[in-house]
Amino acid sequence: MIRFEKVTKTYPGHAHAALDQVSVDVDKGEFVFLVGSSGSGKSTFLRLVLREYRPTSGRVYVAGKEINRLASWKVPRLRRDIGTVFQDFRLLGNKTVSENVAFALQVIGKSRSDIDKLVPETLEMVGLTGKGDRLPDELSGGEQQRVAIARAFVNRPKILIADEPTGNLDPTTSVGIMKLLDRINRTGTTVVMATHDAGIVDQMRKRVIELENGRVMRDQAQGVYGTSN
Amino acid sequence: MQLRYVFSELGQGLRRNLSMHLAVILTLFVSLTLVGLGVLFHLQAEKAGEHWGSQLQIQVSLCTAEDNNPACVSEVTDAQRDAITAVIDENPEAAGWDLETKEEAFEKVKELYGAEKFEGDNAVLTVEDMPQSLWVELKDPEEYDGVVSAVGGLDGVSVVRDMRRYIEPIIGSINMLQWVSIATAAFLVIAALLLVANTIRLAAFARRKEIGIMRLVGASTLYIALPFLLEALVTALIGVLLATGALAAFMYFGIEQRGQDKLKFIPWIGFEQYGVAVLLVAVLGPLLTVLPTLVLTRKYLKV
Repeated sequence: MIRFEKVTKTYPGHAHAALDQVSVDVDKGEFVFLVGSSGSGKSTFLRLVLREYRPTSGRVYVAGKEINRLASWKVPRLRRDIGTVFQDFRLLGNKTVSENVAFALQVIGKSRSDIDKLVPETLEMVGLTGKGDRLPDELSGGEQQRVAIARAFVNRPKILIADEPTGNLDPTTSVGIMKLLDRINRTGTTVVMATHDAGIVDQMRKRVIELENGRVMRDQAQGVYGTSN
Repeated sequence: MQLRYVFSELGQGLRRNLSMHLAVILTLFVSLTLVGLGVLFHLQAEKAGEHWGSQLQIQVSLCTAEDNNPACVSEVTDAQRDAITAVIDENPEAAGWDLETKEEAFEKVKELYGAEKFEGDNAVLTVEDMPQSLWVELKDPEEYDGVVSAVGGLDGVSVVRDMRRYIEPIIGSINMLQWVSIATAAFLVIAALLLVANTIRLAAFARRKEIGIMRLVGASTLYIALPFLLEALVTALIGVLLATGALAAFMYFGIEQRGQDKLKFIPWIGFEQYGVAVLLVAVLGPLLTVLPTLVLTRKYLKV
């Protein structure tokens, strides 16, 4: 589903590569934690998957497409296969919960009837039944992140990318969010989550890829946050 | 494609950036009006040149009783006039001639300077002061020396005038007006382009969150740019409408009411030329806003 072949990414004006010869293979339906300190290359990794950047060298395949060669006008199509969740939720404050979720479908041209069916379904799945008419400000942080997840998942993407989704949440709320991501993963969606939250990683026992200075230090099935030795 | 979002965004965008849009509309309005005026002046000069060029006439003024010209001893006699017209008929350069009577000449003068001065006891001129004229039509506007010299010395001829000497300054002024309007318009067009660029930058900034989300969920570039393009189109249309109105006002007040009334000897432009100017303005207006929007949305909304 996601495949990095000796990928190097150097930003203009930076001596060190943000990613250095990274080779990673993520299969369909996998749940992968991406861990590492700030500046280790996690964000660059996710942005390459989203084709916000092209690699400096090496190849990146996402959902069967080689993104180096993907024409700019085809990028939107690629992104419809990828849902994205951020630490800061990125909800539109002037739209209700339902409108925020529907927005993702509207702007890719889904029909009214599809939207009317998918939005309540997805809100129910993330546990926000009955809150569709609220504004984001009226919700707790955990609920807002559920709205963001609903928005990312409403189009049933093949891949869900989560960049520190629990970074702004307390531990109890984080657990709820992780359960939700786990449920989404079990529908067959590949989930890649960048995180600093050791507790969550240790508890989930999923595959862990650790980056440091742009290199893969560890790639461990059912791993933990810190190195085990 | 679902366009509900696009149209609600359009309304919001227009309201949110109202002052900026007004600035664009006004600049566009003035610059398009000037472009339109430039076109009208150009067509006017062309039409006048065509008219006087194709039917360039030489005016042969005949002697009056009180003529200043020492060659004129008295009012031209019928015999003298017949002799002159015979010479013109024989001349290979002349295509024909028309007699302008004293009364016709007097009417023309009254039209040009207003009838009041020529009525009552204190009249500046009377019908009797006016010369008869022979308007000689040329076969080739460039070939007139022969006629001028053949007629020039004849008895009863006071002055031979080549009309182009009078018309050229008029055409010259119209041409100058044309260049002044087009040059001013060029500066304003640059101002309009910069304003459009600024407006887009502000709008893109105001909507950066929405745009970021749209890009992430895979909205097409066109879809993201559409509200901007429609905004550009709406401002352009308003600018074009205002300019069309201003040009219509110019046609009515400037040409129909003043020009055609006061300066009848000039062939004035009409509805047809107005149509040409409006057409150009209608094409130019949207181009001026939509093209920079296309370029800049690509820059600011990069996928």
